[in-house]
Amino acid sequence: MIKLFWNTHNQTKPNSEDEKIKEKQATNYLWGQYHKKSSDKWIYEILKKVKYNTIENVTDLKKEDTLIIIDSNVEEKSELYLKLNIVCSKIFLFHLGDEFGFSDLSAVYKNCNYIWRPFCSSAYFNHDKVKCIPIGYKSGVLDKKKKTRKYKWTFTGTPHKSSRHDLLFQFSDIKPFFCHKTEKFDVKIISVDEMNEVLSSTEFVPCPNGFFHPETYRLYEALECGCIPIVENAYKYYDRLFPNNPFIKVDKWIDAKPIVLDWDSNQIRKKSDECKLWWDKEKNNIQDFVKNKIIT
Amino acid sequence: MNKNILEKINRLINNKKIDEAQFELSKLGSEFYKNIDYLYLRSKIFFINKLYYIALDTLLIATEFEEKDKIYELIGKIYNILGNKELSEKMFNPDLRLEAINSLKKELTGISQKA
Repeated sequence: MIKLFWNTHNQTKPNSEDEKIKEKQATNYLWGQYHKKSSDKWIYEILKKVKYNTIENVTDLKKEDTLIIIDSNVEEKSELYLKLNIVCSKIFLFHLGDEFGFSDLSAVYKNCNYIWRPFCSSAYFNHDKVKCIPIGYKSGVLDKKKKTRKYKWTFTGTPHKSSRHDLLFQFSDIKPFFCHKTEKFDVKIISVDEMNEVLSSTEFVPCPNGFFHPETYRLYEALECGCIPIVENAYKYYDRLFPNNPFIKVDKWIDAKPIVLDWDSNQIRKKSDECKLWWDKEKNNIQDFVKNKIIT
Repeated sequence: MNKNILEKINRLINNKKIDEAQFELSKLGSEFYKNIDYLYLRSKIFFINKLYYIALDTLLIATEFEEKDKIYELIGKIYNILGNKELSEKMFNPDLRLEAINSLKKELTGISQKA
């Protein structure tokens, strides 16, 4: 039997007396909760073509079960994966988080039959056992299918580092726009409902790179809501991850200004349709790939 | 010793041997991470590879450790290419650059190491 176990939120609560360890525990705990709360819809969409039973505890596993496990901070769970490997006939891991990619994951990955993970790096672009997946959208994000899109562009998030600062400098005179700046990730954010309203009313979504890694949720949220994403072309990350993607790519934000300012409604509709079609197809391909790996 | 290595890398960059320079830089360990000349050379390569924002972030980090004209001048050069003429001009002006850089670092998080 195929069983699914979501384990990101089962993290040790911060309890160490060592301040550094406690801080790490707190970060892992918060992210574990975040993945469960915000990435479940995305992961379940990827697994749409696979039939499985959800379990709440590893004690619900029986000998020879196939396990789909969604987990984070796996570098600290090598013993768990060793035990799971003894019980299960196959283990398929969805390894969420790991933006920095600094940890040695070999002790965990060797106990899994296949691994899907976001935050791709050179080590994983052509790996025989690991496939990179998009980090996806926040649970609840959807296109409200509005007839008109009143905002030329939207940015919500933390204006960290120089790219985001320059983006806001360059785009501030392109009106009308929607901008909601936050001081920290996931703090004082707008609600998902409001985000749906805003993104469904937006033509272009500039997607500056994440804090450490180019991946950013806003790219997939833009695609879900029918917006045209504009991404940074650093290291050609998105072309390596998605060859033939239709995103607009720039080395500097000033290069995107004429597009956002001057494209007429036909050009915008055409590009938006192209992005939507590509994203639906990409999601379908991922679903098929996941299904084929798990079923066969 | 450190100075010799960095001078050698600088020569490689000036002779457009970028891959070679990048390889030499990648061999340097964590003892260089707060070395302003090392950070400058890394930024120079990012800049040549059109990784403007990564170059800027690296230069802004360098300003946390020491003040050198070449750092401000490269920041100014990059802001000129990015189309922010006002900030670019301030970076080339020794009387205005410090205030401008501090104001910039206040506006963007993730760079300043000082509380």
